[in-house]
Amino acid sequence: MRLRNRGKSVDTGRNFRLPSQAAGTECRKEDHPLIEVQRLTKRYGKHTAIENLSFTVGKGEIVGFLGPNGAGKTTTMNIITGYISASEGSAVVAGYDILEHPREVKRAIGYLPEAPPLYPDMTVEEYLSFAARIKGVERGNRRGKLDSVVDRVRINDVRGRLIKNLSKGYRQRVGLAQALIADPEVLILDEPTIGLDPKQIVEIRNLMRDLGRERTVILSSHILPEVTAVCRRVLIINQGRIVAEDTIDNLSAGLSGPRRLNVRVAGGEHDVLAVCRALPAVKTVKCTGSLEAGTVELYIEAAEDRDIRKILFRSFAERDLPILMMRSADANLEDVFLRLTTEERREPNHD
Amino acid sequence: MINVFTRELAAFFKGITGFVFMGIFLLITGIFFTTDNLIPQSPDYVRVLGGISFVFLVVVPILTMRLFSEERHQKTDQLLLTSPLSITGIVLGKYLAAVAVFLTTLIFTLLYPLQLSLVGTISVSEIGGGYVGILLLGCAFIAIGLFVSSLTESQVAAAVVTFGLLLSMWILDLLQQGLPADRISGFVFALLIVLAAGVFLYTTIRNLLVAAAAIALCCGIITVLFILRPAGFDGLIVRVLKWFSLLSRYRDFTRGLLKLSSVVYYLSFSAAFVFLTVRSLDSRRWK
Repeated sequence: MRLRNRGKSVDTGRNFRLPSQAAGTECRKEDHPLIEVQRLTKRYGKHTAIENLSFTVGKGEIVGFLGPNGAGKTTTMNIITGYISASEGSAVVAGYDILEHPREVKRAIGYLPEAPPLYPDMTVEEYLSFAARIKGVERGNRRGKLDSVVDRVRINDVRGRLIKNLSKGYRQRVGLAQALIADPEVLILDEPTIGLDPKQIVEIRNLMRDLGRERTVILSSHILPEVTAVCRRVLIINQGRIVAEDTIDNLSAGLSGPRRLNVRVAGGEHDVLAVCRALPAVKTVKCTGSLEAGTVELYIEAAEDRDIRKILFRSFAERDLPILMMRSADANLEDVFLRLTTEERREPNHD
Repeated sequence: MINVFTRELAAFFKGITGFVFMGIFLLITGIFFTTDNLIPQSPDYVRVLGGISFVFLVVVPILTMRLFSEERHQKTDQLLLTSPLSITGIVLGKYLAAVAVFLTTLIFTLLYPLQLSLVGTISVSEIGGGYVGILLLGCAFIAIGLFVSSLTESQVAAAVVTFGLLLSMWILDLLQQGLPADRISGFVFALLIVLAAGVFLYTTIRNLLVAAAAIALCCGIITVLFILRPAGFDGLIVRVLKWFSLLSRYRDFTRGLLKLSSVVYYLSFSAAFVFLTVRSLDSRRWK
């Protein structure tokens, strides 16, 4: 279920493996996916913005779209929300196809586009009440909905102000309030923290995490820590294709074993290398220079999948060569992301 | 629709567009009223109404330029188009808001004939007819402006193009003498119209084969007609343009004539441009 588009994932290297199917069985076996996107393609003339994108999002999931600028995140979101149409493929939200039942789909979605769609000449209150009305919030509920949303995104103190006089952070929150006002099942947020200061970013992230508890959220970002902080599952998109799709835990799991190490040892290069070469557990060792006087920097790779840190420690200690620093040279999520998105496009491997 | 309508109406008077439109319109009609009625002490208000149709050229672009261009520029069209509103509802809401501003302004100008009626006799039927004509003409012009506004993100471009289109409508009447009136030119003209209609058909249904077949069929029919009854193509260009001329029909109204065909013409002209606007917004999603 999870790896519906396994055919399109690339071989991501040995220390980053897409998970086996077993990992995907933990939940939502019985419930129908809330968002189901199939073979979505969008072309602008000759340029292909997204190609054959397929994924599903289950009820109550909070999923991150990760990818560099121009990867096709916004295009995908614009298609799911019905703002633009796909050239090919289908998007089904809450059981309705966006082309056949656009109204039902739009009713189910709250969308915060990259630039919040705000009318500068309206006050926050007027704007939100307009948003509530066009989204079909019933007259009797409007007041209450508006109050609760304003409370939730903490814009109570600017309710009566003109939107054009608000700071970027407040505008973003008003945009979020607009997305929330009709209490949609699905929340789609395009780069929700872009242009905010660090404090606001933390606030918005906390808010998104809260929201993720009660509804389905898709959020896009080109900033990795943001996605790791908020989402439980990530889709990495590059050049209009999904290059990896997994839970955060699994993504990091493939990376955690310190099979490759950067080590700084005090001593002469010759001695140090001799120690390493004597160890059968070490596959390769390279001296990468010296950053402190009287020390060597080493790059060491373990022969098999085993932790060689203790062995290294003991061997160097025996020869009185103190290890000053040792850290994993394995790719972290950031490196995986970079590699996945900067590598030349490989042919899909049909495994 | 009603929500878009009220928001739009409020937006006209939150910014300056509504006031600029009303101000300029009332200023120029006021000048006409003063020079045509007050100073010469003439009760001939219909002349002023004739001048008003000219004022439209200048002020309608102001009224319509922001309708969709601003929306697109601010990216607020994303809010509207991803809400459960239908595109037709959005377009109609905006169109009717612009018409409402125009109607309100027009009601202000009723003060002029009212003043005249206090001191002299005025022809109620001519003035009434003139107002109906102006209202219909205004609706048609606003529909053109609405459509142009849906094509571009730039308000300035929308205003200039609308102005250009309205101006060419205005000079359409003057052009008629200079146009060729022979059979061949009529035939070519008919073919060109078929071609244009075919292109429009293609952009709507996106099926090259069907569009090409339709064009071929219509061209065939026209050729057959041309061979059988060549006299029918005499002066075709002028006749078509005359029929299309918004202003020549308007003159009927100011003579106190209320022709049903003209009313239908104006209303369908407006409806056609509103429909084109809906199509233009809808098709943008596919690009």
